[in-house]
Amino acid sequence: MTIDDSNEEIVNLLKEISGKLDRILMQGTSTKESDEGIFDVLDVMTLLTLPDHLRATATALFELGSATAEDLAEKTHKERAVESNYLNQLVRMGHVVKGRSGRKVYFSIGEGLGK
Amino acid sequence: MGISIAVHSSKGGSGKTSFSINLAFAYTSAGKSVCLLDADFKAPSLFNYMFPDSDRWLNDVLDGKCDIMDAIVEVADDTVAPGKLYVGYCNPDIDAVREMSGKDRKWQSKALQNIMGVKKKLFSSGIDVLIIDTGPGVDFTSVNAIAAADYVIMVTKPARSHQKYMEQIIDGIYIPLGKDYGVIMNKCHDNKPIAIPGLVDPDIPVVASIPCLCDIATRSDSEVLTVADPEHPFSKAVFTVVRTIEDCLSNK
Ligand SMILES: Nc1ncnc2c1ncn2[C@@H]1O[C@H](COP(=O)(O)OP(=O)(O)OP(=O)(O)O)[C@@H](O)[C@H]1O
Ligand SMILES: [Mg+2]
Repeated sequence: MTIDDSNEEIVNLLKEISGKLDRILMQGTSTKESDEGIFDVLDVMTLLTLPDHLRATATALFELGSATAEDLAEKTHKERAVESNYLNQLVRMGHVVKGRSGRKVYFSIGEGLGK
Repeated sequence: MGISIAVHSSKGGSGKTSFSINLAFAYTSAGKSVCLLDADFKAPSLFNYMFPDSDRWLNDVLDGKCDIMDAIVEVADDTVAPGKLYVGYCNPDIDAVREMSGKDRKWQSKALQNIMGVKKKLFSSGIDVLIIDTGPGVDFTSVNAIAAADYVIMVTKPARSHQKYMEQIIDGIYIPLGKDYGVIMNKCHDNKPIAIPGLVDPDIPVVASIPCLCDIATRSDSEVLTVADPEHPFSKAVFTVVRTIEDCLSNK
C-alpha cells in the first residue's frame, strides 16, 4: 500500500465517522424536541397530539384568544378549578402563557419555550 | 353570532370550490350576509374570474399585517339578492405561494389565532355565514381552517383512494378537534348515492350525494347553479346541506 493510498483510506474513514456523528447529533436534537411536544409552540398539529382534556382546553383558548380560567370553564362546561389545573399544565409545557391584569389572571397561547 | 363552515376534502378535485361557491349563493338567496374565502394557499381556487378583483390578500391577514375588512370585496350584482356576498382571496402569485409553503410552526400558530380573530371581526360586522374553501388533505392551511370552523363539509368522490383517506382525516382531525361534520358524495356514477358498496363506514354521516354530470362542469364557468337552476341535483344537494347544518348547529 502506498502512502497516497493509505491517506485516501484515512480520509474516507474520517468522512464516514463524521457522517455518523452528524446523524447521532441530529437524532439527539430531534428526540429532545419531540419530548411529547413539551416546550413547543402550540400550532394546530401539536394541538392534535395533546391528550383529550388538554386539547379541549387549548382549543377553547384558541377560540377565546385571551381568557381567565373562569371564561374557559364556562366554554368547556367544566369546573373552574379543573380548567385552572389544565391551563397551568399547558403553561408548564410552554404552550400557554399567563399574565395578570388587576386581580385577574389571563391565559393566552404562548410562543413556546424552545428555539 | 354567525356560523363558520370549512369545505375540505381528503384529496384534490372532488368539488370543494364548486360546492363552496354554490353554498355561498344558497345562503345569499335566503337573505344571509355571506363571506367566502379562498384559503387554498398552495393552489389558489381563483374563483375571482367570476367575482371582482382585490389587491389585498388573505396571506397578509394571516400574517397580521392586514385587517380582514380591507381584504374582502363585495360582490354587488343581482344574483346575490336578497343577501350580501363578500369574497377574499389568497395570493396566487408564485412568490407568495412559495413563501406560504415555507412558514414555520410559530407562524402557523399565530395564523390560527388570527383566523379566530377574523371570525369574530366578520361576525361582529354583520356577516352571518363564513365559508372557507380549503386545500385538500392535511397541512397547516387546511387544518387551521378546520380548527376555526363550526361545521366541516367533507366533499369526497366514490373512489377507494378518496374514501380510505377520508376516514383517517375524520378520525384523526375532525373528531379530535371536536368538529361537527358531514360528507358530500360528489361525482357519483349511475346516480347511485354510494357507488362502492361497503366502503363507507355506516357511522360516517353522508349528507347528500351528487351525480357526476358534465353540465355541472360546463355551466359552472358562467353561472351559479343554486341561482340559475335551483332544481338541479347539485343545487338540491347544496340546499340539503344548508338545512342539515342549521339543524345540527341549532341543537347545540
Ligand atoms: N358532480 C359533478 N359532476 C361533474 N363535474 C363536476 C362535479 N362537481 C364538480 N365538477 C367539476 O370538477 C372539477 C373540479 O371541481 P372543483 O374545482 O370544485 O374541485 P376542488 O375540490 O375544489 O379541486 P381542488 O382540490 O383542485 O381545489 C371542476 O371542473 C368542476 O366543474
Ligand atoms: Mg378548489
